[in-house]
Amino acid sequence: MKRTFLIRQALLYSLLSFFTVSCSDSFLDVPVQGGVTPASDPGLPLRLVTGVYSSLLQGDSWGNGDVHSFAFVSVTSIMSDDADKGSTGSDQAVPVGDIDNFTLTSTNKFCESLWNGHYNSIGAANIALEVLNDPSVDPEQRDILMGEMRFIRGYLYFNLVRMFGGVPLALRVPINAEDAKTDPAFNVRADTTAVYNSIAEDLQFAIDRLPLKAQAIKGHATKGAAQALLAKVCMYRGQWNKVFSLTDQVISSNQYSLLDDYATVWRQAGDNSNESLFEIQTGEFNNSNLNISNYTAPQGPRSGGKGGWNDLGWGFNDPSLSLINAYEPTDLRKEATIIFIDNSGTHKGTVLWDGFRVPSSDSVQNLYYNYKAYTSEAKEKYANPTDKDRPKNIKILRYADVLLMYAEAALHTGLGDADAKLNLVRDRAGLSPKSGITIDDVWQERHVELAMEHDRFWDIVRQGRAAQVMHDSGKANFEEGKHELLPIPNSQILLSNNQLEQNPNY
Amino acid sequence: MRRILTVFIALLTLSSALAQTKTVKGKVTDAETGETLPGVNVIVSGTTKGTTTDMDGGFSIDLGANETSLSFTFVGYKTNTVLVGDRTVVDVKLETDVQILEDVVVVGYGVQKKSDITGATGSVKGEELMRQPVLTATQAMQGKIAGVQIISSGQPGSSPQVRIRGVGTTFSGTNALYVVDGVLTDDISNINTADIVDMNVLKDASSAAIYGSRGANGVIIITTRKGTSGKLKISYNNNIGIRQAANLVQMANAAEYSNYVQAATGDAPPASLYNTDWYGAILRNAIEQSHNISLSGGTDKSTFLLNVGYLNDQGIVIDNTFKRLTIRMNDEYKINNILKFGLQSSYSNSVNQNGFNNLDIDAYGNIGSVYNDAYRSAPTIPSVVDGKYGNTSAYQNVGNPVLDIKDNDINVKENRLQGSTYLELKPTTWLTVKSSIGADWRNSLNRGYNYQFNNDNTTFVISGGNQYSSRSNLAVKNTQSFRWVWDNTATFSKKIDKSDFTFLIGATAEKFNLTSFSANRKDVPADQNLWYIGVGDANSSQNDGGGDAWARNSYLARLNYSYDGKYLITATIRRDGSSRLPSQNRWQSYPSVGVAWILSKEGFLQNQNLFDFLKIRASYGQVGNDQVSTNAYTNTVTQNKPYAFNGSVSPAVNGVQIDQIKDPNLTWERTGEYDLAVEFALLQSKLTGEVNYYDKKIENSLINKPLLTTWGYDLDHLILTNAASIQNKGLEVLLNWKDQINENWSYTIGANVTFNKNNVVALNGGEAIRGGGIGAAQGFTTLTDNGHPVGSFYVLKTIGVFNSSQEVIDYKNQDGTTIQPTAKPGDFKYFDKDDNGKIDDNDRVFAGSYQPVAYYGINIGVNYKKFDFSLSIYGNAGNKVYNGKKAVRVSGTDNIEKDLVYNRWTNANHTQSEPSANTGNQLASDYYVESGSFVRINNITLGYTLPASVLQRIKISSLRVYVTSQNLFTYKKYSGFTAELPGDPLNSGIELSAYPTTRTISAGLNIGF
Repeated sequence: MKRTFLIRQALLYSLLSFFTVSCSDSFLDVPVQGGVTPASDPGLPLRLVTGVYSSLLQGDSWGNGDVHSFAFVSVTSIMSDDADKGSTGSDQAVPVGDIDNFTLTSTNKFCESLWNGHYNSIGAANIALEVLNDPSVDPEQRDILMGEMRFIRGYLYFNLVRMFGGVPLALRVPINAEDAKTDPAFNVRADTTAVYNSIAEDLQFAIDRLPLKAQAIKGHATKGAAQALLAKVCMYRGQWNKVFSLTDQVISSNQYSLLDDYATVWRQAGDNSNESLFEIQTGEFNNSNLNISNYTAPQGPRSGGKGGWNDLGWGFNDPSLSLINAYEPTDLRKEATIIFIDNSGTHKGTVLWDGFRVPSSDSVQNLYYNYKAYTSEAKEKYANPTDKDRPKNIKILRYADVLLMYAEAALHTGLGDADAKLNLVRDRAGLSPKSGITIDDVWQERHVELAMEHDRFWDIVRQGRAAQVMHDSGKANFEEGKHELLPIPNSQILLSNNQLEQNPNY
Repeated sequence: MRRILTVFIALLTLSSALAQTKTVKGKVTDAETGETLPGVNVIVSGTTKGTTTDMDGGFSIDLGANETSLSFTFVGYKTNTVLVGDRTVVDVKLETDVQILEDVVVVGYGVQKKSDITGATGSVKGEELMRQPVLTATQAMQGKIAGVQIISSGQPGSSPQVRIRGVGTTFSGTNALYVVDGVLTDDISNINTADIVDMNVLKDASSAAIYGSRGANGVIIITTRKGTSGKLKISYNNNIGIRQAANLVQMANAAEYSNYVQAATGDAPPASLYNTDWYGAILRNAIEQSHNISLSGGTDKSTFLLNVGYLNDQGIVIDNTFKRLTIRMNDEYKINNILKFGLQSSYSNSVNQNGFNNLDIDAYGNIGSVYNDAYRSAPTIPSVVDGKYGNTSAYQNVGNPVLDIKDNDINVKENRLQGSTYLELKPTTWLTVKSSIGADWRNSLNRGYNYQFNNDNTTFVISGGNQYSSRSNLAVKNTQSFRWVWDNTATFSKKIDKSDFTFLIGATAEKFNLTSFSANRKDVPADQNLWYIGVGDANSSQNDGGGDAWARNSYLARLNYSYDGKYLITATIRRDGSSRLPSQNRWQSYPSVGVAWILSKEGFLQNQNLFDFLKIRASYGQVGNDQVSTNAYTNTVTQNKPYAFNGSVSPAVNGVQIDQIKDPNLTWERTGEYDLAVEFALLQSKLTGEVNYYDKKIENSLINKPLLTTWGYDLDHLILTNAASIQNKGLEVLLNWKDQINENWSYTIGANVTFNKNNVVALNGGEAIRGGGIGAAQGFTTLTDNGHPVGSFYVLKTIGVFNSSQEVIDYKNQDGTTIQPTAKPGDFKYFDKDDNGKIDDNDRVFAGSYQPVAYYGINIGVNYKKFDFSLSIYGNAGNKVYNGKKAVRVSGTDNIEKDLVYNRWTNANHTQSEPSANTGNQLASDYYVESGSFVRINNITLGYTLPASVLQRIKISSLRVYVTSQNLFTYKKYSGFTAELPGDPLNSGIELSAYPTTRTISAGLNIGF
């Protein structure tokens, strides 16, 4: 009797416990801890737009992506006749030395991180554009935000087409893996014209919707920026009438002017100035620097020889002799662009604008450094001043560039006054005006005005004289018909099952 | 009735107690054959008094008052204890013991006799593990079980990697599941080896299937000690020894270095008075010690065990130590005849000093970078002179390795409570109901402090360089996790005629959660009593925090059926649900079936003398793996992606990104495995063994598949998805020989070997996966592709060294293109696989993998009188390692290995296997791929047990002293520190900054009271 009772108890107990354990399926519905899902983020559209701007700071040059960091510096500046690799001979011989010497191959890590960084940002912009379609977004705000996103996408494709030529035109978020795999847009290179058309479309969309600078919040893309960028795109395509009308509109919008002092342009005091149309913004966040990692540190003057001082960086991207020789004798821009290390044997050193003294050449690795990448610990503000990698706004588009584009377009179209615009630029540089200017005069002015500003290499390719300029400056490895473009990253070609074609001769 | 019996026995005991001392004689024979047995130990129960039988099996022994029974023990026979009563002649028959095969094995939610098992298992006894002075039982298991590969770095506080029957996944969830007294865990660094009774490994899918989705990488079940009823037992064990690096790479000295650098760069390094041995500067002879005190005892109603252990393990790198205190209490209570209650609990407290990376925050302060810097630092720079550091970074941009250690203080404390409690109800003979709740609570506090110091003359011999820290930094991180598991099982056992049934059903639920919080501030003063966040500069403060949670719910059933003890069948099924997978794929069932036939019990094998035991078995089972991160299938929005819209003067505007592409249809990895084996005992069970064949295929294996970046924004360009099939086929052979030569000599020899072939069968989607990226000019070094083992090395093939400029020009492809036009004499000549006239990634070839063709262990034990000796050997063969530290040389001023100075190509020495002096930046090639085969004397121990006669006087019941050495000697072909390189499957076998294998020589004693 007693035993039967116990058995019954036991069975009841076990059934009860099974039941309790299996209580319900909701036991397994454990939400992701700390994982905000798109559905649970109300301010998502607006915050995603900020995230796209944030992606322009990508600086993982040896890793997942670079947009404006060391890899960008390498292919826009070090590769050109403006600058040499710098640092010590073997430092970053791969991948930077290969870029400088045109011995680069399709496995060059910096080419890969540029490709990946740009597509990261394009992907982020595509997501933002999709989310902005959400009905909850205020229509007026939507127009502007979409304009900004398409401006950024257009800008990124403009960089890509100048670096790699025709590239895959990913203009939307794939629905799923199958879609991504099968739609050629994501897998096959579009031709250069198609890419340029898409850029022009994005920028025109932006021009139609974005406010003038006066009405815009600092740092956001504006109508003027979109017009100037489209003008530049048209300049690369030789559409001079459009270049002229767009630059003319920017000039006559009365939003912009040249700063009095050229040297201020690339200092903190010149950030978001009247001269600025579009720049990559840096600052501070979470008690730390919010900067493009690997922008200022790679370019800072480097200790060498006897050493013995707290140097400012690794010493890359050193202005070349051919750049130094390009300036007219009294050009103020030369001293504002280049840090000349004291090599006189007098050990005076070089005192920079903020009073910082760089020792003379026996304690410094190289003789010339990029002044436009210099940051001042004493006179500029940073969350973390002891870090060599500091915030530095990169001036992507500024008024002087617009004036020179106008001048070049004016010469091509016969419209407007080319001399006047060019002389505005020369005047500030402390140079006497020129009259009856030629295309060569404009190109010379562009060279020195925009020196070390990530424009030179693409500019000489556009001008169709890359091989000649390169060979003249002693870069004998430059092969015409090959080195105007970077190689498509081999890793991507393999991943695409060879659907992505390599550039000629690589 | 029972009461009467008790009284009767008590009376008997009483009567014998009253008796005077007497002499008992007798003869011991084999129960089956009737042959007399010489050399049998005859011991008076409860004492250490004893004798052995003579040549005719006879014995004679004196029994004192209160001494009532004799115990007869003999190798190969079951122990027989006989109540003497008032007899003076006691003849005893001993039954042969197939003891190995009669062992009871813990199989998950129950136990089974080893002979009844139909799947593949292997076990190691606690005392065998105890013999080795290593931190974790896992490491002590190395070489003991066929099919179980243990890869250990030997760094204090680290957990070794376990791979059971090959690599089944390319994702990181490759480690075996541990079950400690029913509590599921993935880390047993908190378990004191002295607490362990045995470790049992469920190797094949059919035995692991009862753990369903947790069993894909094998299951290691750990049973901890319990008290036994009887008198209070106290024991103390210790071990104290010295530890040092076992294999160091010889680096160039100052003269050799200068010579090489001059040849490589054309510039000799500055003349120097110094000749620094950097490894000598950062390494030391370390002291290791452990102590254990154990108390146990009990009555017939309750038993208890208390075990306290302390371990202090100095690292061989200066300033690195690991200390651990463990306390275990295991109690069991019989409430009444049908109800039993038990508790197993352990507390551990560990302190790891300077062994960790400085949280995730700082680059300095981990042993890896110290090793790397020691490998690179120039011998011409001093380490420390008059308290000032040699300035390596001013000369060559490499941190001074000694300062790398001294400039920070990283302390990680962990408290962990782990245990389980159960209630067992046995209302009838055929039913057992058990409910058990296990819990594992962990709390760790990581603190990293970086000292402030300048690169000036107060710190360095000369000023300058990049090694300085302008502001001190304090970082703290607190992580807390809790896991509970609730198992409920009911077991029905019934024997009807010759049929024996055991049926188990159960349900389990498991939940885990974790929270972490971290903070850091700068400008915290250097005094240790001020290392608190509140002391630092609030304007520099940063914090972070996060969490994790998941749940699992399962139902399981197992049927064991045996007929006549000869025909055995086991069938299991487990249905698993996991919160880690999307709801449409959340539930999955894992079945298994195993059959066995014990031939030796058949009539036709009764009249033979060869086999004492013979069994064949076969099984098939399926197991799964859901070890993906909890957010693997949910799209999440990454917070804190700001942009400084307002310029540099005001704080940035915050934004977000969706920066990971997820697979919404993520599902279980599924492993199906066939297992076929024969188990045998021969020659009076002196020889026992097992031969096992397995074929294991993992479908839907989880891999991080690379994505084209044009497909969308994914920060790492990888998507975790089920896309690969991987196969492991293998053969395990296990042989043990055990013999007693005479009363003084006995010995055992065991050997096991495992052959495993790993192969990627299919990569659905086709893309091979690159791994082993090691920077510099090397790019990736491994490729996981169809038809090759996971993580195979994939590098250029060197076909010699150019001897002249003419040879460079003459090295052309079919079209006449010079293949390496920029090469110089002394550079490597690479094979142009695709014959396209240039060397690129398309010319890479497969060059072996880190996965061994075979691994093996040999274990020998010898007893001579009171001496015991044991030797265990472990090795693996047929694998490759990549000398990554040599390959990442990127600077002409980095130091080089001594051999390179002498063996390099020169105009006078046209070697074809070494390049000329160079500044690094070499391409990834087979030059860096070396043999990973090694053989090691894992452990060698000599012990002596003091005679009982001596001990009795000092009231000690047993005392053994021993000396032991761990890793006394390693024979390896590899030129680096160690060929044992833990790592995830895609990146394993690459030596970048490996912790060298350590050698320990120690002594200890075991005392029982």
